[in-house]
Amino acid sequence: MTRAALFLVTLCLQIWVWGIATASAETPDEALDELLSAARVQVPAACDNPEADRLIRILCSGRIRVGVRGHYPFFSTRNADQTDRVGYDTDVARAIARRLWVAPEWVHVRAATRISTLAEDGADVVIATMGHNTRRDGQARFIRPHYYRSETIVVGPGEADISTWEDISGQRICTTIGNYANSNLVSQGLRLTLFRDAGRLPKALDEQICRLVAHDDSFLASYLADPALGSRFEPKFGFDPVPWGMAVAQTGSDDLARVLQLISQIMHRDGELLELARENGIFNQFLKDQNELWQSPICATTAALADPACVLPALDATPPPTAFADQVKLIQHRMEALFGAAPALPMLSSQPAFDLFIAGIVNSIVLVIGALLATLVIALLVGLLAALPNRLTRFLTWTVVSTIQSSPVILTLVVAGAVANAIFTYSPSVALGSAIVALGLMNGCNAGQAIGEAANSLRQDGQHGRGFSLPLYREAIGRSLTQILSFLINAAKGTPIASFTGAPELLSALTDITSFAAGRVTTYSLVLVFYIAVVFCVVWACDALRKRLDPQKQENRA
Amino acid sequence: MNNLKAVLTSDYPAELLAGMVINFQISTIALALGLVLGVLFLVAGPVVPRTVNTLTGLMRAAPTFVVMFFLMNIVPQQFQVFGIDILLPPEWIVALSLAPYAIAYVVDNGRAAIEGLRAGSRSAALLFLPNLVRAFTVLVMSSGVGVAIGVNEGVAVVLREAEKYPALGDQMLVYAVGVFAFGAFFQIGFACVRLMMRFLSPPEGNRVSE
Repeated sequence: MTRAALFLVTLCLQIWVWGIATASAETPDEALDELLSAARVQVPAACDNPEADRLIRILCSGRIRVGVRGHYPFFSTRNADQTDRVGYDTDVARAIARRLWVAPEWVHVRAATRISTLAEDGADVVIATMGHNTRRDGQARFIRPHYYRSETIVVGPGEADISTWEDISGQRICTTIGNYANSNLVSQGLRLTLFRDAGRLPKALDEQICRLVAHDDSFLASYLADPALGSRFEPKFGFDPVPWGMAVAQTGSDDLARVLQLISQIMHRDGELLELARENGIFNQFLKDQNELWQSPICATTAALADPACVLPALDATPPPTAFADQVKLIQHRMEALFGAAPALPMLSSQPAFDLFIAGIVNSIVLVIGALLATLVIALLVGLLAALPNRLTRFLTWTVVSTIQSSPVILTLVVAGAVANAIFTYSPSVALGSAIVALGLMNGCNAGQAIGEAANSLRQDGQHGRGFSLPLYREAIGRSLTQILSFLINAAKGTPIASFTGAPELLSALTDITSFAAGRVTTYSLVLVFYIAVVFCVVWACDALRKRLDPQKQENRA
Repeated sequence: MNNLKAVLTSDYPAELLAGMVINFQISTIALALGLVLGVLFLVAGPVVPRTVNTLTGLMRAAPTFVVMFFLMNIVPQQFQVFGIDILLPPEWIVALSLAPYAIAYVVDNGRAAIEGLRAGSRSAALLFLPNLVRAFTVLVMSSGVGVAIGVNEGVAVVLREAEKYPALGDQMLVYAVGVFAFGAFFQIGFACVRLMMRFLSPPEGNRVSE
């Protein structure tokens, strides 16, 4: 009974205070003062009320539990003697705590536990390098204006003249698997070298394994601040900005969220966030822009907090679903019920992923067929030249064949890609075409050499004389059929390497899908199954061809 | 010509050789894995022929590049075996992705060697050795795919050096040096195979009796 009465009184007070605050306060300072005053009025009466807003609980306990990253240089790390935390995120938390007249209490969160910690009431607010996107909007309440914004930056040697995509198109860039920026990098004609762990990227720059690196600027900032690396490498340009938001729990945090919004607005307007960024040595262009924006008359009042001209939207990270996404979900649920686990199928759940997936399959098939045809044509051509009795022609053919044989597959593909890009403007079709030519050259030359050797052996048998004739050529092809078919299979097996030079085949497409969707295990298992199936099909086709072309030999074998 | 001199007198040749040493290391690991597991397959072959044949067929068909990405995404970077922490560097990922080819190769050539022995031809069985050298050569050339996951091997060195030059002609020069280095190894490798073949092959007259 007493509890219910207490709750009613608190509720009435809140409604009254809210009414006054929203009706009368124009500036964020006034609104904040009024909101905090009204909250303090309820302390300690509402302290025992389990329904009270988190703001009341913070004021009652005299501490605010802030979820921060354990080790994220420049944003949240331990100080030298391990007694406290330093960094931009923790400084922002301290500034907020000061305004509330409470002490911050640090709660260690990881990237994967930031939102769950809020949901489980492990922290009052999370300030932990968290990008604000539409997918997360359904899981936590994000505070706007955003307290920071990161972007993916391209880092390269200081002396390199790089400022746009055109300056690096066709080059190799190091990044991490699943990076949000990967699909953008590929679409700009860059060749990706993928690392599992972002921590290896600065080391790869330092050891000159990579000349260019693309990753989040907030992550790379600390490494670039180190003179050993920073004196040689610098950010060239940025793209794909992501606003960072503080977040509170979705329920029971209305007042706390409002207070944090107002504090953020004031801190942007007064340049306090900008100053904290400067003190911590992080990139601050966004905060400079925000400082100017929130000082402008249009964003000066509390009404600006709902004005799209002042607050940024969340990053749209929820791709539209496919028409059959619900059926996919249903199948997944059934599988989970039956087997206890179900594969993630991002390529069937979202439309952009599905489009990439289908395009990847089509391009892979085009690539395989193209590589097989190119191998066959080049094999017949090289075989013809190698079978000619003219020594000069044979020597030239041998030189070309030996050179191509001497090059690792991936290097030949890169060289072919470089030549193609020098002749034509880069495009996925050019990458696909150059890969077909390269695979055809590599395997066709080997098969052609086998035809030449077969022609020689036929001459030694004394069946065709010393000259060249069509029957000799035809019989040489028949004699080297096994070799030709082996190199056709080899050409099919080599096609996925074309993804390294930007050919938009299935491996490349699925790598793009993992940059914006989960389910890497399923994705890469699928691509493995696909290519094994393709190779099996080619093996089967080659066997069928062999039986058709060489029935006599088959019978003898049997 | 001046550019060639500049390329050859730079750090590039030394770095390329250092990179190729990594290619050799990767290939050695892959071949060792291939030998160990291949022999196990050969031993298990008569007991469970269908399983061994199916697995060998799958390994023969699996493209190295896809297997490499598959392993990179499936196998954890760090894991425990009998309480011991094992860190899997990218070089090992490349070696593991080459292992299916090596296993299938060892099984195919091992079977031929065993059949040769059964037929009473020691020399036919000994051809297994030059075939191993051939496999090693192929593995070295294939290990260049490691560049796609950040392994600092020979091809990575070539590509990194080429990116320093804006002109296509200079880039081609760098590529040519790389191809020459790999080509020299390739030709030496196959010369060894030919020599071993010649050494192990029986004289013309003895062939019929074997």
